[in-house]
Amino acid sequence: MADTLTLFTSIGLSEQKAKETMKNEALSSALKEAVTQAQRVHGASGVDKAMGTLLYNMASRLKDAKRLAFLADSIVQRKICTELQLAAALDFVKSHPQDPINQKEFEEACGVGVVITPEQIEDAVESVIKKHKEQLLKERYHFNMGLLMGEARSALKWADGKVIKNEVDMQVLHLLGPKTEADLEKKPKPQKAKVTENEVKAKKEEVAVNGEVSTGEVKSLMEQLRGEALKFHKPGENFKTEGYVVTPNTMSLLKKHLDLTGGQIRTRFPPEPNGILHIGHAKAINFNFGYAKANNGICFLRYDDTNPEKEEEKYFTAIKDMVEWLGYKPYAVTHASDNFQQLYDLAVDLIRRGHAYVCHQRGEELKGHNAPPSPWRDRPIEESLVLFERMKKGLFAEGEATLRMKMVMEDGKMDPVAYRIKYTPHHRTGDEWCIYPTYDYTHCLCDSIENITHSLCTKEFQARRSSYYWLCNALDVYCPVQWEYGRLNLTYTVVSKRKIIKLVETGVVRDWDDPRLFTLTALRRRGFPPEAINNFCARVGVTVSQTTTEPHLLESCVRDVLNDTAPRAMAVLEPLKVTITNLPEDSQSDVRVPDFPANEAKGSHMVPFTCTIFIEQSDFREVMEKGYKRLTPEQPVGLRHAGYVISVQKVIKDAQGNVVELEVNCCRSETAEKPKAFIHWVSKPLTCEVRLYERLFLHKHPEDPSEVPNGFLSDINPNSLQVISSALVDTSVKGAKVFDKFQFERVGYFSLDPDSTADKLIFNRTVTLKEDPGKI
Amino acid sequence: MGDPVTDYTARLQQQEREIQSLSAEIESLKNPQDLSSSPRLDELREENAKLKYRLNILKRSLQEERTYCSKSMMNINQRLQEVFGEAIRASCPELDNPPLAVTPNQQAKFGDYQCNSAMAMAQMLKAKGIKVNPREIAEKIVQNLPDNELTQKTEIAGPGFINIHLKRSFVSKLLSNLLINGVQPPPLASKKRVVVDFSSPNIAKEMHVGHLRSTIIGESMSRLFEFLGHDVLRLNHVGDWGTQFGMLIAHLQDKFPDYLTVSPPISDLQAFYKESKKRFDEEEDFKKRAYQCVVRLQSKEPDFIKAWNLICDVSRREFQKVYDCLDIQIIERGESFYQEMMTEVVKEFEEKGLLQLDEGRKVVFVPGQPIPLTVVKSDGGYTYDTSDLAAIRQRIFDEKADVIIYVTDSGQGTHFQVVFAAAQMIGWYDPQVTRVEHAGFGVVLGEDKKKFKTRSGDTVRLMDLLEEGLKRSMDKLKEKERDKVLSQEELIKAQRSVAFGCIKYADLSHNRINDYVFSFDKMLDDRGNTAAYLLYAFTRIRSIARLANIDEATLRKAAETTEVILDHDKEWKLGKCILRFPEILQKILDDLLLHTLCDYLYELATTFTEFYDSCYCVEKDRQTGEVVKVNMWRMLLCEATAAVMAKGFDILGINPVQRM
Repeated sequence: MADTLTLFTSIGLSEQKAKETMKNEALSSALKEAVTQAQRVHGASGVDKAMGTLLYNMASRLKDAKRLAFLADSIVQRKICTELQLAAALDFVKSHPQDPINQKEFEEACGVGVVITPEQIEDAVESVIKKHKEQLLKERYHFNMGLLMGEARSALKWADGKVIKNEVDMQVLHLLGPKTEADLEKKPKPQKAKVTENEVKAKKEEVAVNGEVSTGEVKSLMEQLRGEALKFHKPGENFKTEGYVVTPNTMSLLKKHLDLTGGQIRTRFPPEPNGILHIGHAKAINFNFGYAKANNGICFLRYDDTNPEKEEEKYFTAIKDMVEWLGYKPYAVTHASDNFQQLYDLAVDLIRRGHAYVCHQRGEELKGHNAPPSPWRDRPIEESLVLFERMKKGLFAEGEATLRMKMVMEDGKMDPVAYRIKYTPHHRTGDEWCIYPTYDYTHCLCDSIENITHSLCTKEFQARRSSYYWLCNALDVYCPVQWEYGRLNLTYTVVSKRKIIKLVETGVVRDWDDPRLFTLTALRRRGFPPEAINNFCARVGVTVSQTTTEPHLLESCVRDVLNDTAPRAMAVLEPLKVTITNLPEDSQSDVRVPDFPANEAKGSHMVPFTCTIFIEQSDFREVMEKGYKRLTPEQPVGLRHAGYVISVQKVIKDAQGNVVELEVNCCRSETAEKPKAFIHWVSKPLTCEVRLYERLFLHKHPEDPSEVPNGFLSDINPNSLQVISSALVDTSVKGAKVFDKFQFERVGYFSLDPDSTADKLIFNRTVTLKEDPGKI
Repeated sequence: MGDPVTDYTARLQQQEREIQSLSAEIESLKNPQDLSSSPRLDELREENAKLKYRLNILKRSLQEERTYCSKSMMNINQRLQEVFGEAIRASCPELDNPPLAVTPNQQAKFGDYQCNSAMAMAQMLKAKGIKVNPREIAEKIVQNLPDNELTQKTEIAGPGFINIHLKRSFVSKLLSNLLINGVQPPPLASKKRVVVDFSSPNIAKEMHVGHLRSTIIGESMSRLFEFLGHDVLRLNHVGDWGTQFGMLIAHLQDKFPDYLTVSPPISDLQAFYKESKKRFDEEEDFKKRAYQCVVRLQSKEPDFIKAWNLICDVSRREFQKVYDCLDIQIIERGESFYQEMMTEVVKEFEEKGLLQLDEGRKVVFVPGQPIPLTVVKSDGGYTYDTSDLAAIRQRIFDEKADVIIYVTDSGQGTHFQVVFAAAQMIGWYDPQVTRVEHAGFGVVLGEDKKKFKTRSGDTVRLMDLLEEGLKRSMDKLKEKERDKVLSQEELIKAQRSVAFGCIKYADLSHNRINDYVFSFDKMLDDRGNTAAYLLYAFTRIRSIARLANIDEATLRKAAETTEVILDHDKEWKLGKCILRFPEILQKILDDLLLHTLCDYLYELATTFTEFYDSCYCVEKDRQTGEVVKVNMWRMLLCEATAAVMAKGFDILGINPVQRM
């Protein structure tokens, strides 16, 4: 311990830094090796601070440990003397993963031996300043000096930045003289005029115009690319990804891969066809398809159909529907089962190469953490080949034999299973097979077969990354890069198939697409536009860490889209009859209502206006209350779009004293005093059913036993569904098609439910207008 | 524990509970509304589905193994029987042992094979009081046909025949396999130890035409069993023991007193035998001495054994000449071999109480058999019965034979039936396990349909017969001016091939059970079902490739790369005919009637001629005679035909020649 500490401080690390370094075992041992190597040449105290820093930086930034000695040597030999050269050197070894390193190329790339004289720097800076002289003289010290630095630097690649800076400073001083008071003043920010409300409106409209599907998507892609995906390797440069395993065949395989794909980005969305897609899948779809699209690449929809027991035909079509609904078109729809024969042949090859064996341990023996190693691990290859063929031919019962790969996984699991016996027909291959490959075996090989460049998957699969690389390399086939991102989790819901089945079975929800769920079919039924879901995925972004998001973020994305796409209509959920006494009984006029009041150019529709109208019960109060701006016996209220203001003449009540009707007078709004508020109304309306939804669960994490000790079924929000069987909606919704969306003014966004009939329309409330509907 | 009241109460309560649970179950069974299956039932259903799935996979694997993986030839008929057997069982589960009849179809328009079980099944059902139209049964069978690799389609014709059409691709694949792997026997269920007892002449007597039949048939049977993969022991049960040897030895001692040091120059054992017989009948002294010699021989006195061996050797040399001509492999194990064992056999019968005394003889009566076996004569000597019992016992217990076949003339049939029955009675073998059979044959007749004799009325010496065959064969070849085409060596080869081939084939091509007429003229005729015809046909097929300048390597390569096309009717007919070889062998294995193979080879040769007459194998320029085009798949058909014929000849013991 003490020795290491001394060693580290001897190269100029502070004691604290040295101690910190020692905590990181990998770094500590690498540094130790590098320093020892340096001291062998320069003696125990001969490593100066500059060299020490380079060694430290090298050790901490180098990914590939086998290059340590090489780089340390370059530093020790003083070939690599600057930070700049080190960066170039690290870059070089990263892009040349294979031995041998061409010394000449390396030195050229790192500027080894390049000497920059002070004169060269002087000349370079001088010519840069000459170029910008005019602007410099004008802006003086407000000029962006970084620009000068940058240009000078690019002219002299290996020059020391500090020296350049000094030279720039000196020459600028020489040109401009010392700073004046004006120079010291802060540069005035561009004046931000105070925007009037009108302008804000106008701006919103602009957004609205731009908020079309296409731009929305571009935005989402841009946003994604800002995240981790920006760092992704270029096709064919798989080895630049951290953790990628390079074998003697890697480079030639990558070359073949490039020849085949022409350098195109290839991704895939690989769902298991054993359930319904949910919001978590939306992210995977969005990411895989989006990343390919943003890079002019292609994305496959691949069904990972290796488990015949769980698959059903209906899931296949449902998955494709949802991908298409989200606006993506797969380059090709493939199935893992398309490759069963090839996978089998590869398995035989794997056995031949001595990397797999037939095992007879029982499933129950392998469960748990410390499963005993297989006694069949070292059986002869020939034996495994014969037994594997017998597995295929049906000579073993289920569970009597498996094919296992000789490999230890990240989590310490030994020898994952590659093939197991199942006497179950497969929906695509019928009765052809009785052995089926596992995820661990199939996934990477299908990726390889499809020449996927980026195999994007969620974090849970990190533990399987090494097996992914191992298998491709064990078979000497092209190895894609696996990259894991954090799963998208939403609060106040459950998405697991098993739990949703429970909810359906217990009658809590109506079906898989009950709008309170977060399956994609449910979201579609509730009226969520696919653009909104894509935008949401983009907004959540792609990160390595797990993200838990509240549903209202999704809802706000929905509002953003619907605001611009859902035409307005008026609906009264809890009607109160209002008779206008000063209009003739048979009078009827048509009122023009803009589809989008913010942009009347987008069209309008007509609704009838007669002497009998209906308003929301909540828009009338018999007793005036402070701050209440709508209708009271004393306070008139405006009718939206109608151009009338009404005032109460008579309140009619039933026997229980409930208000059942109002008689009012109306006058044109131009003549009346401006009312405090305008309310919506309907006249000669359609009677519709309206379903109002709220969160299905009361707690944020219904699956968390500390939050909900009695299980998620005990956490159901009793008010999650409210059905209003006779809401009154204006006639403009007549003829609406399933999933058509409207904004019911002042009420919320609604979407036509598939349960609707010609006689009775049914609307689902997609979202309320505002996040908090609690306002009175 | 004592209180009986408590005990009984407990038992009553227990029974009460059982009654309740049973009535509850009965109730639930009565109640049709409650049809929801129990979890146990679901489990069983699932297990059943899985087992069915596995069964299907296993069946397919088996099929694949048969068709593609193994080198052996498939017996198409047998495979069809399996397929139809399954369908028949499934369509008529009420019949315990439904008849299964699948045969090749004679007329191409009715398909390739036909299944005629429906009519017989209808009969069986009728006997059970169920009236079903056989056509309906046929329809049911067709519906129940399992998925299989070989049938293309089936049609129901007439009263209920099911005509079966084979898949062309399947036949083509089998032919390719045949070409690649050569003519291989069908898969062997279990390798058996087979003893074939044949030839079996008597020492010091001439081999006659009866022995010729036994030799030819026995040899061919042995070859068949060997080809099918069995372990064959060919035994020559020569008559080398008995009282006649006393007489011979006595005479030998008189004529060649120094026989122990100087080998006596007996060239004509037949004459020697006659001389001694004459003395035996006429000289009382000699007769006495002859008897003494027998006793001394039986007590294995070296001088007598030596004398006996000398005599036997003379015979052996004669026999071997015949065997050499006919290319016979056989181990001599004569009656003398079993001498010691006979005592034990008698003892065993005695101990088991199966011996009866009859006028001083010890006899064995076997229930159901008309005559008893005499195991010990009144003078204490043993008989053929005894030695045959000893032999069968030795073959079962020491040789561990699974199959024992005796090839002798039909006249010995009764004798062997009694021997076999006695052996079963004493428990030496179970006919279900061990197959012991007498393959009898009819007598050889002269062209006058009378017993085959020389003109002077003597029995025909075998060697003379063979010599004459050679002479006739050469005459024939010269008549056809083959001596001008062939080299001397080739000519001699052809002569032997034709001569011995014809003698054997003439014998084998007739149902062995019948008597057959020996006629050189007929057997050497190169038209009709004769070896001469087949040998000519074979050399002609062989010459097709040679004349097209295609060497064996090219043909072997083509076998792997060229698909055998069977679009032409004659190609199709020939292809199927070639592939019938395994089912022919199977049939012979069952009935030991080798003429079936001869008939098949003749059919194959004529089918080939039909094919060759209508399908060009090689197209040549009319003027120059240059090869313009080779239809390789047809060359392959020629090759396959030749390969099967060659194997057939081999089993018959006929040596074909390249040129004749």
